[in-house]
Amino acid sequence: MVEIAVIIALLPLLAFVIQIFFGKRLPRQGDWVSIGAIVSGFGLSLYLFIQMLTRYDPGFVITESFTWIDLGSFKINLGIYLDNVSITMLMVVTIVSSLVHIYSMAYMEGDPRYSRFYAYLSLFSFSMLGLIIWDNLFGIYMMWELVGLCSYLLIGFWFEKDSASNAAKKAFITNRIGDFGFLFGLLIVVTAIGSFTLTDIAEGVASGKLSGGWLTAAGILLFCGAIGKSAQFPLHVWLPDAMEGPTPVSALIHAATMVAAGVYLVARLFFMLSLDAMIFISYIGAFTAIFASIIAVTQNDIKRVLAYSTVSQLGYMIMALGAGSFTAGFFHLVTHAMFKAGLFLGSGSVIHAMHHAMHKLDVHDDPNDIRLMGGFKDKMPTTYRTFLIYTLALSGIPFFSGFLSKDAILGGTLAFAVSQSNPIHYLLPVFGFAAAILTAFYMFRLVILTFHGEPQRKDLYENIHESPKTITIPLSILAVLSIFIFYTLPGINPFSAAHGWFEHLMAAPASAVAQFSGHPVVDISEHTAHSSHTLAMIISIIVALSGILTAFAIYYWKKMDVEALTEKMGVLYRLSYNKFYVDEIYEATVVRGLLMWNNLLSWFDNAIIDGLVNLTAWITRHTSALSGKFDNAVIDGMVNEIADITQGFGRQLRRVQTGQIQTYIFAAVVGAVVIILVRLV
Amino acid sequence: MDNVSSIKFFIPELFLTVAVIAVIIAGLINKNKNKFLIPGMSVAALLGTVILSFTQYEMGMNSLFFNMTVLDPMSVFFKILVAAATIWIVLFSLQQHMKVEYYILLLITNLGMFLMASANDLLMILVSLEVVGLSSYVLAGYYKNNMKSSEASLKYVLYGAASTGIMAYGMSILYGLTGETNLAAIQQQLLTQQPYNLTVFISIILIFAGFGYKIAMVPFHFWVPDVYEGAPTPITAFFSVAPKAAGLALLIRFMTTVVGHQLAPGAAEWLQNMDISAPLLIAILSVLTMTLGNTIALQQKNVKRMMAYSSIAHAGYLLMAFVVFNKEGYAAIMLYLVFYLLMNFGAFFIIHMVAQKLGSEDIETFYGLGYRAPFAAVSMAIFMFSLTGLPPLAGFIGKFYLFAAIINGHWYWLAVAGVLNSVISLYYYAGVARAMFLVKTETKDAVSFQTFDKILIATLVIPTLVFGIYWTPILELTMRSIKLFAGN
Repeated sequence: MVEIAVIIALLPLLAFVIQIFFGKRLPRQGDWVSIGAIVSGFGLSLYLFIQMLTRYDPGFVITESFTWIDLGSFKINLGIYLDNVSITMLMVVTIVSSLVHIYSMAYMEGDPRYSRFYAYLSLFSFSMLGLIIWDNLFGIYMMWELVGLCSYLLIGFWFEKDSASNAAKKAFITNRIGDFGFLFGLLIVVTAIGSFTLTDIAEGVASGKLSGGWLTAAGILLFCGAIGKSAQFPLHVWLPDAMEGPTPVSALIHAATMVAAGVYLVARLFFMLSLDAMIFISYIGAFTAIFASIIAVTQNDIKRVLAYSTVSQLGYMIMALGAGSFTAGFFHLVTHAMFKAGLFLGSGSVIHAMHHAMHKLDVHDDPNDIRLMGGFKDKMPTTYRTFLIYTLALSGIPFFSGFLSKDAILGGTLAFAVSQSNPIHYLLPVFGFAAAILTAFYMFRLVILTFHGEPQRKDLYENIHESPKTITIPLSILAVLSIFIFYTLPGINPFSAAHGWFEHLMAAPASAVAQFSGHPVVDISEHTAHSSHTLAMIISIIVALSGILTAFAIYYWKKMDVEALTEKMGVLYRLSYNKFYVDEIYEATVVRGLLMWNNLLSWFDNAIIDGLVNLTAWITRHTSALSGKFDNAVIDGMVNEIADITQGFGRQLRRVQTGQIQTYIFAAVVGAVVIILVRLV
Repeated sequence: MDNVSSIKFFIPELFLTVAVIAVIIAGLINKNKNKFLIPGMSVAALLGTVILSFTQYEMGMNSLFFNMTVLDPMSVFFKILVAAATIWIVLFSLQQHMKVEYYILLLITNLGMFLMASANDLLMILVSLEVVGLSSYVLAGYYKNNMKSSEASLKYVLYGAASTGIMAYGMSILYGLTGETNLAAIQQQLLTQQPYNLTVFISIILIFAGFGYKIAMVPFHFWVPDVYEGAPTPITAFFSVAPKAAGLALLIRFMTTVVGHQLAPGAAEWLQNMDISAPLLIAILSVLTMTLGNTIALQQKNVKRMMAYSSIAHAGYLLMAFVVFNKEGYAAIMLYLVFYLLMNFGAFFIIHMVAQKLGSEDIETFYGLGYRAPFAAVSMAIFMFSLTGLPPLAGFIGKFYLFAAIINGHWYWLAVAGVLNSVISLYYYAGVARAMFLVKTETKDAVSFQTFDKILIATLVIPTLVFGIYWTPILELTMRSIKLFAGN
């Protein structure tokens, strides 16, 4: 089993190596190598997945490790940790990645760096799959950084565009800030427990080697990594800009997999989160959920709306994990990966069509702008239908996957609030429901403006065509996977996944913190959980429908004038439209501050460090010159002297008997004598 | 153990001897009709020897031929190391179409090094050193018509003769003091008889002259630059690793018997038999060796000569680990040798390939090579940075364990000196990388190398990369090799 998991991860690495070195020379620029690797990976994951379903054991874990570094007292073991969560995650990543690989054949066709694109995709798949299966934080950290690197390469894939290369840099640097926290958390854990391995850490926490404030600090610091990768407030700024990358990349990395890595990390570390850390995590998630969905309401770029929606949905997952709803959080990760990847690929299909239309008419405008679209549903029926399904799933409408997971999250946070003594925690479900209204609203705003109503630009509209099969087939597959039935089996209740395989198999891991303290970290009685669930379900259906109705009222039936509404909302509109000026605030404080600090450092560097370095270099240079001179002047000089004296002995003889060797032997004997003399003295 | 019962512990050496005879006969019959017969036979012989040696790991510790030699895991380790090194050299000389003698001499040198790795008697040490020495002299002067090569050979002979003489003199003093030639017996005598301290010191210094010449230790290094520059490059690569490794095996053996003893059998630490400040002496010599090697290497314009000085510097790094006088130090030396073999061979091979194509070993030849021969240039850069000891390359791991050993032994000033030296060495190693990638040249035409050579380089560059990340198997091998040995 472990071997299979390793092969799944290594196949794309192999593809990457082949692609980067020989890609250009292969037929079809080698896209089949990458596609073959990831689709085989998908096949193997499917095998593991089916095994998991037939086993049907919630407690299944298998680990295998080997010693990587052994320095006596310090040891690093590396290994593989496979459980239901990682197998499911393997499945999600390989499905989405395979579809994106196939989709890219059409989308990236004719790109001058076509083979390079597939090489990067393969490298990314490798690092993501590796991240999933490592059994230790060291390996996870390594892959984590590699994922960040791939993200940088792929966002900046069209680096000729300034905006793309800037976005790539922004993503990388913003992620580094979070990773800095991750690193510190890692150091705390290793210092306290002495091992990177998850099982060792669990044991260490359970036996109290790491507890109290340090445990909370470690939890929060490790979570900082997730704040960066999963684009949580205040490090969410990179994700919307990352939409500069090719759309398949947005679907793979910035919707389904890499951003989910942060959530996955929190799920992996769930066993070591103290209550304080969990509350911190939950609030970060809840705030991000509402904050990003407010911004999404006013954006006009189709991908940016989806980007903010992703940020908001990731906030949901984080909030759920923080509130102790492990299964719900991870559930939403899986369902969201499917329909959000679908939404991005669908938007890519639209952009692709727009791009072609603009190209044909020689119009230079933004192909992402929804104000130029409208009425596309007749022109692109498959794209429209699948897009609608994803939207329904994202809005949390029954019969679709998103309803099940979102409902589980809202129920979980409500139960958490009920079971905590402090009533302030009701903020969590309130934020959650508010974000749910907004989600339904902005998603239908997007659908209506793009696909319904009158075409805004007749000329473009006439030239819009449905995308080719390599694009529509992945869309259809993802749409099918957004139906509730895949997550509730063997149950068929569209309103609850409680009896489905997912809820059964993805049980929350035993909390090591609880084991140490002797009482559960979050104590939710079954009754509370059940009643909260029912209540949350009713509210969330009402909330979703009202969001949809509002969207229809404003944009479809035009009951309200958009302009007037904008006027009326005034400040709020401007805040939302300008993304709460977060970028501007960072620019004025962090960036400016760093520049000043940078200037100071560079002065210090130039004036003082360089002076020292130059001095040292000067000394070294002269010592070595001296030493070289000694060799040249004294040794060679003696040699030359002797050579001069023996000049008369003829050419051949002189060449052999330069006398050098006498000097050499003489020096050796003198050396030995000097050593002995030094000893005598 | 008597001679007859020793035979079954001597199979690799016997196999090699038979192989030498077989190669001689094949050479007589073949008359150079088949270019690949002799090298092929040599490689097969060496491979067979390596495999046979591997089976000896399980044999534990044995004294052979009335204690003239020993068979222990440490000697097996060195035997495998030198035989593997020779295989690379044979393969690398393949394009040269050397005569039969060349291969025979390499095999005989190998036999000598096997004896060096297992010698346990002053006489055996002398004999094995001479076997290696005599065939090395001929190999250094293999290009008879090349003045530089002949000169190298002659210098090597004279210098070797002188240092062997000094060593033999030292040995005679030691024999006079103890009345024994067997190393273990000398140890016992020194411990029980307590002869005059200074005389013992003098004899050990004189013997060190012989070892120092073999491993290129200051002040017995003078022959190195000239011989390395003059000898055929594959032979230079060979000299820089294989005899040096065998010499270090001898030195380990000597340090753990004549110079030191263990408090209890199997202990990790050694104590000096007599207070002659051996660790301090070696510490000073190692600092001198690496500093001299590195600073003079800075001045070199010829890359091959630079590598000669660099190999002196590396002898200094290796010597450092002797000061701690424990198994950790010896294991570090053995680990470093494995990595040193890979990166040093790689560097010399590329210099050779470049010199063959472009006619010179000067640094100017390497200008812009990064654009003309990317594979060779990138490999060369990897070897250079590995030799410097930068992560994540094998050289870093090797140096890491050397420094870890001396820091654990509280030799902080020595560690500082070692690190400073690594910094100095970065300058000239990086200088080669700079020449290859940052210097723009007029000629842009590609330099193409034989696929066979490229594969050979790959067999060196891949382990250099892989061991930089995952070296546990090699570490375990060295640990296993040092666990039980005749010094116990």
